[in-house]
Amino acid sequence: MTASVAPENRRRLRAPKYALALPSIIWYSVFFVAPIAFVVLYSFGTKDTSKLVPVDLTRLSASSYSEVFDETFFTVFRATVRIAITATLLCLLIGLPVAYFAAFKVGERWRAIVLAAVVVPSFTSFLIRTVAWRIPLAPNGTFSKFLQDIGVIGDSGIQILETSLAVQLAIVYNYLGFMILPLYVAFDRIDVRLREASKDLGAGRVATFFSVTLPLAGPGVAAGVLLTFIPMCGDYVTATVLGGAKGNMIGAMIASQFSSAQNWPLGAAMAVLMIGAVLLVLVVGAAIVWLAPWLLAALGPVVQRWRAIQAARHGDRGNQGNQGDQPSRRWGIADSLLHRLLGVWTTLVLIFLFIPVGLVFLHSFNRGNSFTIWSNAVSIKWWGELFDGAVFLQTAVLFAALVTVAVAARRNLKSRAKFGGGYTAWLVPSGFVLALVVNGVLTNWYANLFDFTGIGDSIRNSFVAALGATVIAVILGGTAGVALARRPGRWATAFMVLVFLILVTPEIMDAIALATWFPRIRDVPIVGYIFTEGWGPFSGGMNKLWVGQSLYASAVVTLIVRARLAGLDESLEQAAADLGAPPGRAFRQITLPLIASAMIAGGLLSFALCLDNAVISTLISEAGSTTFPVALLGATRSTIKPFWGVGAISLFVVTMASLWFLVVLLRRGGASAGNIAATLTGN
Amino acid sequence: MTKQLRMLAPESFREHLSRRAFIQGGTAAAGFAVLLTACGSDDAADDASTGGEAATGDYSRVINKASGSLAMYTWGDYNDPDIVGALAESELGVTMKVDYYPSNEDLITKLAAGAGGSGFDIVVPTGPYVPQMIEKGLIQKLDMSLIPNLGNLDAAYVSQTWDPNNEYSVCKNWGSTGFFYDKTKITRKMETWQDFIDACMNEGSGNCAMIDTAPNLCGMWYWSQGKNWNSQDAADLDACEKFLVDEFAQHIKAFDSYPSTKLAEGAYILSMGWNGDLRQAYTRIADAGGNPENWVWVLGTPATELWMDTYCVAAGAPNPEAAHAWINWLLVPEISIKDLQYHGYNTGMKSMDSLIAELAPDLQYGDMIFFSPEQVATFQTQEITPTLDRMVDIMNKVKAKAGA
Repeated sequence: MTASVAPENRRRLRAPKYALALPSIIWYSVFFVAPIAFVVLYSFGTKDTSKLVPVDLTRLSASSYSEVFDETFFTVFRATVRIAITATLLCLLIGLPVAYFAAFKVGERWRAIVLAAVVVPSFTSFLIRTVAWRIPLAPNGTFSKFLQDIGVIGDSGIQILETSLAVQLAIVYNYLGFMILPLYVAFDRIDVRLREASKDLGAGRVATFFSVTLPLAGPGVAAGVLLTFIPMCGDYVTATVLGGAKGNMIGAMIASQFSSAQNWPLGAAMAVLMIGAVLLVLVVGAAIVWLAPWLLAALGPVVQRWRAIQAARHGDRGNQGNQGDQPSRRWGIADSLLHRLLGVWTTLVLIFLFIPVGLVFLHSFNRGNSFTIWSNAVSIKWWGELFDGAVFLQTAVLFAALVTVAVAARRNLKSRAKFGGGYTAWLVPSGFVLALVVNGVLTNWYANLFDFTGIGDSIRNSFVAALGATVIAVILGGTAGVALARRPGRWATAFMVLVFLILVTPEIMDAIALATWFPRIRDVPIVGYIFTEGWGPFSGGMNKLWVGQSLYASAVVTLIVRARLAGLDESLEQAAADLGAPPGRAFRQITLPLIASAMIAGGLLSFALCLDNAVISTLISEAGSTTFPVALLGATRSTIKPFWGVGAISLFVVTMASLWFLVVLLRRGGASAGNIAATLTGN
Repeated sequence: MTKQLRMLAPESFREHLSRRAFIQGGTAAAGFAVLLTACGSDDAADDASTGGEAATGDYSRVINKASGSLAMYTWGDYNDPDIVGALAESELGVTMKVDYYPSNEDLITKLAAGAGGSGFDIVVPTGPYVPQMIEKGLIQKLDMSLIPNLGNLDAAYVSQTWDPNNEYSVCKNWGSTGFFYDKTKITRKMETWQDFIDACMNEGSGNCAMIDTAPNLCGMWYWSQGKNWNSQDAADLDACEKFLVDEFAQHIKAFDSYPSTKLAEGAYILSMGWNGDLRQAYTRIADAGGNPENWVWVLGTPATELWMDTYCVAAGAPNPEAAHAWINWLLVPEISIKDLQYHGYNTGMKSMDSLIAELAPDLQYGDMIFFSPEQVATFQTQEITPTLDRMVDIMNKVKAKAGA
């Protein structure tokens, strides 16, 4: 019987290898390859501003490319690459000790706290945190005046704003988390026994770190570098907000060709060359990484010899007999010192990560009219503008009451009732949901809550857009990741190239490509209807945002899921198949639980990314679907009022509440705090 | 300090609004009458601009109630938040959604990408860009029967070259370009663009900001030379490029079209800017604990710019009725002046002097909003010519050089 089922299953598995990746392939073909192909085509066109799409495609030439090759482009390009490489290295140097500390030097509880502290700031709007750096750096600001008073700096105050130093600082800040998390995951995965073996075999700490730990963490370093370097190259928001003339970056230059200069051929040509250059830098980087083991191996004997020389010298100088005991005691002292140093370093880095968040909160209570300038007076007027005080209080009281009832009921039932914790565990989450519903009915809170022009709507829009895009990203990334890990082949190489292209393409190019793509597909049956007329949440602006934001996010999820499965062999699925489970069931019961944590992690990461998406969203959003970053990016053109801080904090609270809800659900599933932390980081 | 805050949002004004209760249906006919006379003969306009004392009675105050939401795509911080917020809801009956763009080209790119489906009702292009937008089908013809208050505009601000019959656009406000400096840091007296350029290259080097649009940056050089920035002379363009790229770029700290906040932060000691934004800088500087009296505004001489931003209704606007109602409402003198006090640009109402005297007697820095006829005579309006491409090219080179 079994014998007859198994071959059948084997046959059923013989769908094309890429079958599971098909949704991604279709999605990327329609919303990435085709639109981008048009932009690449534009790069061979000529500028013609009399047309709606200001490119004349009847006369194709490569003149735009020769136009790019002038001094202007290369000056800016060199500056951009310099900033990006420096920032990537700084992120690595700053983040490595933190990840190492979290992975090896602290207990599970503190590990969760450190990781949460790394993640939490990134759930505050990227843009507002960038803007917030203007506060401590302003030459007339409080901090600057303080430094002047104690005589550290001269009369002109801090002169960092509007220089590439400010951009460098903020870019390191903005991407540090994306470096620490992959590093931590990689460290955490290292089998401790390997490190112990290394030490048992006589290698010192330094040698163990360089010849065992670091090479094993290689994939994490690579992931971190990819996740930071690539977006840095295309970043132009940071440069626009902080850089002034000196912080001009290539992303801004390409964007200005598409918008203010309306020279799409030139902009497209620049973007194509930039993609090529970034890929080139990555190839060179990969070559270096590929050579790294040899380099480290070459360094190994040097370290050994250095230690031998040290030991010999010590032996000459010292007259104690017990040579064997001496180094270990010395290392013991060094170890505790190292531990302490790592702790201090981690604390400093975490403080650094929270500085702008704290400033955003503080300045949302600023009485003046400008977010970045502290007026020396506290006021809640900006909060009042976003929230109706009385309604808010009433709601908070009701909400607290309902949650308290739910918690108390759960506690009572748990101690008295005979039925198991399985049912009572649902009480708090369902109480929470009940509270939400009852609130909505009784106070009409949600209608009134964000009752302020633009901002309230934009917060809701951000949330809906990010949620939809995340769902798409998780589905696409999950299936494609499984297909890549389980059904590799020639298609997988081509698909990975596509995923890399999505990651490398500057956002502004995606933005232009999609913005001009939607009108083009208007007449296509069904798809066209969805993007013009639509229905409910699937109407115009919002579903365009889902498409636009899902591209980068799904690529990230794909990589995470693939990495997760790559570490596990297929024996479990094969066993299930041998036991007679049809492929669908094997997927549901075996594969899905295996990749669940990676999908959740990927989902969280993409949610954070989508929530912050400004460039694509700015170009494709419609009047009714303006998101918070889009609105804020618009506001950065002039004066940013403190209510943007209020909006950012509100969005942050809503996001954290949803995450808390997720954690509650996970915990109900029996996961410990440590597991949840590991889940959050994709481990 | 408090006085200045009051200037931007005077408490007394709300009372004004309620006291001067808007009569709705009743004045419609009267409004039409004004409109007809204004359109019909030049005399009416002349009367209006000369007649000071009797002015307020002549205004049309028709408010066409509308409903639903109204999406406006405009320049940063360009309307009084009260008008866009609470007042629009109570007086007009619409909920405003406002988004911002940084340049006319960005506006055009966005509307073109949406191809009639961008969802915006009102857009605010600068005058010379209107023909281009008409040609591309991005804005729609106005229904003048829905804008009876048009007659409240001074004749000087209707029938502009880019839209001779106001078929597509209505003046929102107009302004000019000048510069702003900290006189404790730059002690010499500055009056001309040449002074500004000179200061940027000497005591202000590395501490000065330029408006982030190509025509303005290049225009500065033309004006400093006493030339017309619409000149299509290739030699002029070459000289402009040579000077800006080779000699000037290295001194620029930032390209910033809205420098008011950053001036207050202390990021620049001198900056080029539009009059209304630089006027707001005084408030921001006071906010930051600085002394506004240390700062000086100078209207660029011997020549400078006159720009006019216009309200247009986007093609495919979801709520065109409300869009017309909005344009019409902003022409009600009380609303117009309230808005003017916020953004600091001349809204072009007829008999402006008497309106200000009545509605905004404590208006400060009026010299930054209203210009003398002699000053206006030196203003030049931008024309969209092929040189614009070249100017953008120059701008890019200047940016690259400034960043090096």
